[in-house]
Amino acid sequence: MTESLNVTVDRRDGLAVIYTEGYINNQGGEEIARVAYKLIDEGFKVLLLNLGGTKIVNSIGISILIEIIEKMIEISGRLGFCCLTPTIEKTFHIMGLAQYAPIFSDEASAVAQLRA
Amino acid sequence: MAGTASAGPAQPWGELLALAHDETGERALLERLLELWCGAHGAASAALYLDRGESVEPVAAVGRGLLEVMSAEALREAQPGRLRLPGGWLVFSPPGSGGAGGGDPLPLLFASALKSARLRHELKEQQFQVNYRIVELEALYDVGLAVAATLDLDPLSEEVLLRAVSLLDARRGALYILEDGRYRLDSTLGGEAGHWLAADDPALAAFLAGGEAPADLLPGVRHLLGVPILFEQNPRGMLVVGDKESRRGVGPFLPGDRRTLGLFANQAAIALENARLHLRALEQERLEREMHVAAEIQRRILPKGPLEVPGFQLAGWNRPARQVGGDYYDMFHTPAGRFGLVVGDVSGKGIPAALMVSTLHSALRLMLDHTEFGPALLERLNRHILESSTPNKFITMLLAEVNPRTASLRYLNAGHNSGFLLRSRGELDELPSGGVPLGLLPGSRYLMRESVLEPADLLCLYSDGITEAESPKDEEFGNDRLIDLLRRHREAPLNDVLEAIRREVGQHTQGLPQGDDQTVVLLRRDPE
Repeated sequence: MTESLNVTVDRRDGLAVIYTEGYINNQGGEEIARVAYKLIDEGFKVLLLNLGGTKIVNSIGISILIEIIEKMIEISGRLGFCCLTPTIEKTFHIMGLAQYAPIFSDEASAVAQLRA
Repeated sequence: MAGTASAGPAQPWGELLALAHDETGERALLERLLELWCGAHGAASAALYLDRGESVEPVAAVGRGLLEVMSAEALREAQPGRLRLPGGWLVFSPPGSGGAGGGDPLPLLFASALKSARLRHELKEQQFQVNYRIVELEALYDVGLAVAATLDLDPLSEEVLLRAVSLLDARRGALYILEDGRYRLDSTLGGEAGHWLAADDPALAAFLAGGEAPADLLPGVRHLLGVPILFEQNPRGMLVVGDKESRRGVGPFLPGDRRTLGLFANQAAIALENARLHLRALEQERLEREMHVAAEIQRRILPKGPLEVPGFQLAGWNRPARQVGGDYYDMFHTPAGRFGLVVGDVSGKGIPAALMVSTLHSALRLMLDHTEFGPALLERLNRHILESSTPNKFITMLLAEVNPRTASLRYLNAGHNSGFLLRSRGELDELPSGGVPLGLLPGSRYLMRESVLEPADLLCLYSDGITEAESPKDEEFGNDRLIDLLRRHREAPLNDVLEAIRREVGQHTQGLPQGDDQTVVLLRRDPE
């Protein structure tokens, strides 16, 4: 396993899906934030973070994800997560992320509900 | 930056009070206050920053043109003007616009807002830390459950490593398992790691005790923390993490991190021990299956019942000390119209001895078909056994042949104990011991002896597992007890004689575990 994070984006008519692959740590979190803020600047107000390629998140990564959530709240946007491992999903619930950003089991249902 | 600086002639207290009552309008209230400040001081833009030591955090801003200041150093070097407030900074542009405003109450309100922001930030941070401690406890609980739920070591070692790395905010990590005196890299996260490390390396031992890390453990890592994986104080592996992260980069691990890593190492130790016991159980199960098959093969080698020869009675019995044994007996007709009986004893026990028994059985049966009974038969058999056995393996054997028409008995002994021929009148003749065991020496020579079976004579061939069976007082059953038993049951059916031998040997050993394979073959000429 690698400690680096690869981030790719799929822009879809007002909604952008951010795919991660690797460790969401300080560097990984910053990369996600950079991509998310760029999408916000482009006008996207609905973001979906697909963490299907991520097995591990540390507290720094979580704090950066919280900042992204706060930013989305600030612009009255919507952010959701999908395809989390059970461990990461449990962590997000405990850390309160799930309270402000819904968690979906798969991408299709996430896209459908975030668009609704 | 939000909003536009505009100053009204009078402070709109009503509007400000309304914003203050709105729980979600704190930022809007601050932005409105900043707008008022800009209006009062001729500034085009202004921002309020919370001082957080090495960094500053924007709280609210109005207007455009201010820098996105994130570090205290950058703030000091920034072009806009700035006003130091308790707990933070008011930054404004253009720089010359922040003229003194005697009696201006707004800075007091900003200071109060900064204090509120600091408290909110600290509360949020504390809540984050509390929640993260819960995550840590849950992680240990989950790993414990995973360890209890599976015996597959690979996913468990990865689970332990990932949890340890994430909870300690490490950038990298590795889990090693001790194998054959070396640490083998089992799981790793990020970058290179040594695949094998010498367990007796003093530098490694010192590192695991809390000392400096060996340079090549995780190349490129500046700060290492490692703990041994111990089960009952015995080393089973090593858990290593590298470079503790913060928002500012990486640094050394904290004193409490060793304890946390140790907790994960304990879970890994249990997983390793479970997996080791599971593998051992599987191996044991496989061996037992193989032993079962070997025992079945050996049962098929032994006669399925007594040989039918008019004028004679035969019976045989064998009980291995383990599932398979090194004793062998057989009864057979020869091509010359005679019949034979043999008792053999392979040195050792278990599978190796059973394999030798199989070799002996096949070779003897083949040679009997093509070789005349006599010393040459045993000499040829000796050569075969010598070539096909490992050093120090040998077989003692007493082989006898009877001509049913004349009742003449010929026999060859290859180092086996004496046979007993109990005559009908009560005398005892021995088929004497002698000869070199098969497979021991090349070129061994054997002597054939002869006798005649009289009506009602009883011949007993046996292995030393009978006569050397020991009582709890280390007393052997011995030849005398066996001979006495044969005398007492001289006229009994042969199966009853076998039963008596089993019973009396059992009484002698008083339930002690059977130390050696036990074999008896009986031959009686029918009475006239």
